[in-house]
Amino acid sequence: MVSHRENNTQRIAALDAQAEALRLRPGMGIAEARAMHPSIDVVEADPEADRRLLESLADWCDRYTPLVALDGDNGLFLDITGCAHLFGGEKALLADLMARFFHQGFDVRAGLASTPGAAWAAARFAAGHIIAAGGERNFLARLPLSALRIDARTKTGLESVGLRTVGAIMDGPRAPLVRRFGAELIERLDQALGRLEEAISPRLPVAPLSVERHFADPLSLLDDIERLIGLLAATLKVDLERREEGARALELLLFRVDGAVSRITVGASRPIREPTLVRRLFHERLATLGETMDAGFGFDLVRLSALSTAAFDARQADLAGEIDDDGEEFAIFADRVTARLGEAAMLEPATAESHLPERAAPALPYAREEARRSMAGPARAAAPAGRRPAERPVRLFRQPEPIDVPATEVPDGPPLHFRWRRALHRVARAEGPERIAPEWWREEADAPTRDYYRIEDADGRRYWLYRQGLYNAQAAAPRWFLHGVFA
Amino acid sequence: MATSAVARGVVFALRQKIAKIEGTLPELLASPSDNRPPAGVLVRRNGIASARDVFLPTGVEGLDEALGGGLPKAALTEIHGTETRNAGAAAGLALCLVSRMLKERSRPQDLLLWVGTAEIFREAGLPYAPGLDRFFGIPAASLLFAEAPKPADVLWIAEEAARIEEIAAIVVELRGNPRNVDLTATRRLHRRAQDSGRPVFLLRQSAEPEPTAAPVRLVAAPAPASLRHTLAGPLSGSIGPPAISVEIGKSRTALPGKFILEWNPDARTLEERRHSPEDRVAVVSASRGRADPQAAAGTVVAFRPAAEPAPGGQPPREQHPAHRRPRRTG
Repeated sequence: MVSHRENNTQRIAALDAQAEALRLRPGMGIAEARAMHPSIDVVEADPEADRRLLESLADWCDRYTPLVALDGDNGLFLDITGCAHLFGGEKALLADLMARFFHQGFDVRAGLASTPGAAWAAARFAAGHIIAAGGERNFLARLPLSALRIDARTKTGLESVGLRTVGAIMDGPRAPLVRRFGAELIERLDQALGRLEEAISPRLPVAPLSVERHFADPLSLLDDIERLIGLLAATLKVDLERREEGARALELLLFRVDGAVSRITVGASRPIREPTLVRRLFHERLATLGETMDAGFGFDLVRLSALSTAAFDARQADLAGEIDDDGEEFAIFADRVTARLGEAAMLEPATAESHLPERAAPALPYAREEARRSMAGPARAAAPAGRRPAERPVRLFRQPEPIDVPATEVPDGPPLHFRWRRALHRVARAEGPERIAPEWWREEADAPTRDYYRIEDADGRRYWLYRQGLYNAQAAAPRWFLHGVFA
Repeated sequence: MATSAVARGVVFALRQKIAKIEGTLPELLASPSDNRPPAGVLVRRNGIASARDVFLPTGVEGLDEALGGGLPKAALTEIHGTETRNAGAAAGLALCLVSRMLKERSRPQDLLLWVGTAEIFREAGLPYAPGLDRFFGIPAASLLFAEAPKPADVLWIAEEAARIEEIAAIVVELRGNPRNVDLTATRRLHRRAQDSGRPVFLLRQSAEPEPTAAPVRLVAAPAPASLRHTLAGPLSGSIGPPAISVEIGKSRTALPGKFILEWNPDARTLEERRHSPEDRVAVVSASRGRADPQAAAGTVVAFRPAAEPAPGGQPPREQHPAHRRPRRTG
């Protein structure tokens, strides 16, 4: 039995068949239930965990159709349009789904109909029922009003005037119903009967292309999976070639026998379709996942989908039979590194119009090919000709490191010595200041300015440090930071 | 006499054999007799190569000589920094060498890949593109960084990158002495560099010297910079171009050496600083108020002028209050 807190009392949120037989009802107070049956086992409700479970079930349902939507907190919609024949018809699909869920230990009710509304009703009021197209009317007519997905107030309102089944309002005059109970009632009715189109909103975008393979005998070895990726990619290549496209992002879905689904995604900096390449990218990804991925009893369905595709420009070999490489090798290398170590593993400096050093050249994840090309050209030409750029350190700390400055020569001058990482450095020479004002269009108006100094300490190390704020100008005392080191 | 000639011939043959076994031996092999190869020709495993392809000259005569011609180009070179806070100096030395190499190649599509652990980038900062552009002439477009959590991943990236044609040089940066960066790991990197013909620099910050497969190990330390040169001479109290103290830790010739190198950011050359760093403070104050007297052409003959006009209508030298005060040095 699961309890939840409602209006400051613990109430029963859900209960199993055995508890139901003890004449306990959802909504009953826990204290009351315990008074009736002191031996009941009560578990606190965990909506988060329920949600996660539902999400993972939705993931698993991807094996039947890519269009899976969550319905409230206890249901799933599967749009199996065009998918049923893959499983031997609607009936076989439903049986397969029920059997698999049963073996996973779930008590599932499923209904199949041509409209989401009718399927919803079928799942709740006639589990396992398949409603043929056009049969919604007869089916719904017998059901109580709760089968229409309407709120409790409308339902009690209708019941109070004696309308207890869907059939009772189905053919009734519509205008008075709308006037009294709102448009939602009629909308729900129309949706269930198929007079109004209702779209379910899938959780995940549908991949433009995917190939999959089912196994009677589950796979569990990484080598087998990698080999399989090569095979699937070869199939995918045919489709990609027909569309004259290459894949920019690929996803591998591994459906474990016990219902867990692993999604492994790799990106490519330029469109790819060669199976060997796809396999290499996944090889790097799997190499890092190797320890963390739990194959359990194996995977019985493996699907490879191209999440995003782009036009693939096939290059022709020249007369000597050599294809101009054009950075291809490098792109693959970058892809492999990012596949293995994550997006942030390859960084490249960008150039931005900013005076603040950390904003002027942020290290961004390695841009895809086009972005890099478009950036490289104009950004370099934009530098003012004839003017020497300011001296900047060769290494810049990600976060300016606060340093302790006990004394400066003059209030707004460079420090005499400073303590950085607990070591005292005596300043031998200093150059500066170079004042960099805050960007008022980003920060608040009275943000402190920075006065940068080039400092050489007694041992010859050169640092770039700055004072944030001015003495006697603001309430807060200025603080010193070390921002970079020179060669 | 004859026996010694025979002995020399045998020794030469043996040395040549060893050279062939060892692969790139950056050592000039002098033949004993008249069939000696022309100067600058080296014996390599796959034949004869010119010194230009084999060496990356630093441009500093003493250092090149001590290294036997320069740094080997297709090889792993270790650069050690004694402390993490000296990371600027060690990075500077690697950048000097890379910058010289890129200048020589002068191909715009060349890339410099800087691979490091997340630890070293956090402790010593990420290379900063505007600084690299300003001091070493390496544009931001040809820079690429790779960051990995573990040294093993860093080595993997470096090994993979060594095969890529576009990457002209690789700088691998590690901190301390990780267990898996040993003789085997350095040998793998060295082999990759040899196969690709492009250098790999292994920057090891605050690491103890260990056995390494790299033919050369340099120890970089910071050195006080010289003064800025202005039209009016050195500017007192200023901080000039980068200066790095370099010590040879290991080389094929096994010659010791310690050099204070100065990088010229404009010419992109390394120079050795001869004068001691104590000279950096001007002993005599720069002249003020008037230009330095021009050096006279021809022979200067003592000839007293009739009347010396005070430049700019200033009072005579004896009456100027500045000259009455006791003079201080410095």
